[in-house]
Order: sequence, then structure tokens, then C-alpha cells
Amino acid sequence: MANFILRKAEPNDVSDILRMIKELAKYEEMEEQVILTEKELLEDGFGDHPFYHCFVGEVPKEKQSSEGFTVVAFAMYYFTYDPWIGKLLYLEDFYVMEEFRGFGMGSHILRLLSETAVKTRCSSMHFIVAENNTPSIEFYKRRGASDLSSEEGWRLFAIDKEDLKKMTTPK
Amino acid sequence: MDFKIRAAKQEDCKEISRMIIELAVFEKMQDQVKISTQELERDGFCSNPLFECQVAEVSEEQKSSQGYTVVGYVLYYYTYSTWMGLTVFMEDLYVMPEYRGKGIGKGLMSKVAQVGKEKQCTRLQLAVLDWNTRSLDFYIMKGARDMTASEGWHALRFDGEALDKLAAEAPKD
Repeated sequence: MANFILRKAEPNDVSDILRMIKELAKYEEMEEQVILTEKELLEDGFGDHPFYHCFVGEVPKEKQSSEGFTVVAFAMYYFTYDPWIGKLLYLEDFYVMEEFRGFGMGSHILRLLSETAVKTRCSSMHFIVAENNTPSIEFYKRRGASDLSSEEGWRLFAIDKEDLKKMTTPK
Repeated sequence: MDFKIRAAKQEDCKEISRMIIELAVFEKMQDQVKISTQELERDGFCSNPLFECQVAEVSEEQKSSQGYTVVGYVLYYYTYSTWMGLTVFMEDLYVMPEYRGKGIGKGLMSKVAQVGKEKQCTRLQLAVLDWNTRSLDFYIMKGARDMTASEGWHALRFDGEALDKLAAEAPKD
């Protein structure tokens, strides 16, 4: 593949970003869990107080995907806080369309993210991966990532809306 | 026992810092605590705070054996799920041992749920160490699902040398 560029996402990109969010969820076998809309992505990422930041990977028109897309990769991140070490960069989603893999785009995106982390005074970059996603786990481990769940025993928990409501209702 | 749950103020950072270390000692990772009161003040009470905090306070008459009246805290921030939008992540929840079993932990966590609800968060997430059975039971009773067990999610990290090395290879503008 000749070339590609990595750039900050713009409001016009939300349609491509949502498309790729759904593609990634499908790959993770959890497609039906995506309820986010383009409108929410737009308000939440490009309003006065963005809740996330996003890079996209773009190819020239001559290299467009089989369905005619030129925005072919994305990485969404935000800042979190560890009371022991301070500001962290949290990588929420990281995806390259299948037909564009193996050309170095993923590696470039990861390096750009880590450069962003260092520039913005983050001590670390965190993210989660499903344990059956062997290609991704190997990709990250080759580049020096540690698995906190295996090494330190951290387990991720979630409490959903209904149970949250119960917690706020006075007894 | 009477206690009050309130939003932390900048002046509380000294107490919060003390309790962060107490929690790290409990988690057997005290050597990993690198930040101080000053950094907490800078990061939590600037124009774009990186976290929010609620503290549990008791009256003077109920102060701890070492004279503390701020006896618990919960530190949290907002995250974004590409599947469902804004969520709240509960990073630390801690009650000093002599004040446990009195509903303070529950009170702190309910406050986060309430704050999250006001901001229309769709979910509350947290991480727990696998040997911390007492905490695991506490959260599961409140409806928490173990995503590591049920869906195989693992937390990964790039830090220190690994992060610097990766950043040094970034494409130049």
C-alpha cells in the first residue's frame, strides 16, 4: 500500500467512526451492544467539553476500500487518573479495517498514541483486551505491554443502569 | 454512627493522600504510590479536573484513634464507551478499618451512582483484585458483574520504558 495519513478526527468523521465501532464490536462478537448514535458521538466528542479524543487513518481515493471508504482506521482515547501515579491515557477503541491490516497502520497509530501520552504528561497508557483475542494480545505484548489481569489479578466489573438506580433510591 | 458524605475540597487532599497510601498498603502495593498531596490538588481542583472525589466525615467526638475526622473516600472519573456513551469509573473506594460495617462504603458508592445518574451515565465500572473476596462480595451484592470472568476482558498497560520506547518511534510531523 502506497500511503496513508493519520490525523485528528473531525465532526464529519462521525459516520465513519460509528461504522467502524460497529465493525469492531462485530469482530468482538458483541455487535448488538452498540447503542451509541452519530448524534451522541458528535455532541460528546466535538462539543464544549469533549469526553473523548479520536485519531483516524485515511487513505487516498485511489486506495479506497471495496465499499468506497477512505477513512479506514480509528483510535479513541481519553484521560483517566490513577491515585498512585496520576494522569493516564486510556485507549478505548483501536481498529484498522481488515483489508488495510498488515501495512503498518496499526503500529503507527499505537506510536502516535504513546507520543500523545508522553506529551500530555501521562505516566502510562491503559486499555482492555478480550483474552480470546490472541492476535491483538500478541501485537501489544510484542511492543512491551503488561497484562495487569494476569500479573496482578485485576478484574474488571460493571454495574448497569438498573442496579445503579437501585443504589440511588433511599431505603 | 453519624457520618456525612460530601464533595471533597482542595483542603481534603492531605487526608485523601493519607488514605490512598492506606489502601495501597492493604492492596500490598504501597511501593507503587508515586504522587503526593500537591499533585492531587493540581489534578483534582484545576479548571479541567482529571477526577472527582467524595469524602466521608465524622464528628469530632467520633474521630479516629489518631484524630482523623475524614474517614473514607471515593475517587472517580468519567469514561466513554463506544457502545453506550458516557460511563463513570470508580477508581478507589476506601473506608478506614475502624469505621467499616456502618454503611459508609455503601454511602460513598451510592453518591457516585447518584452523580453518575445526574450526568446520564449508562454504567459504573471498577476494577477489583481477585484475592479481595470481601470487596468482591460487596460489589456483587450490588449487582456488579465480573467482566473478566464472563467476557474474558484483561487490563493491559504500557508504562515506563515500554511507553517511552513506543513514543520514540512515533512518526514525525
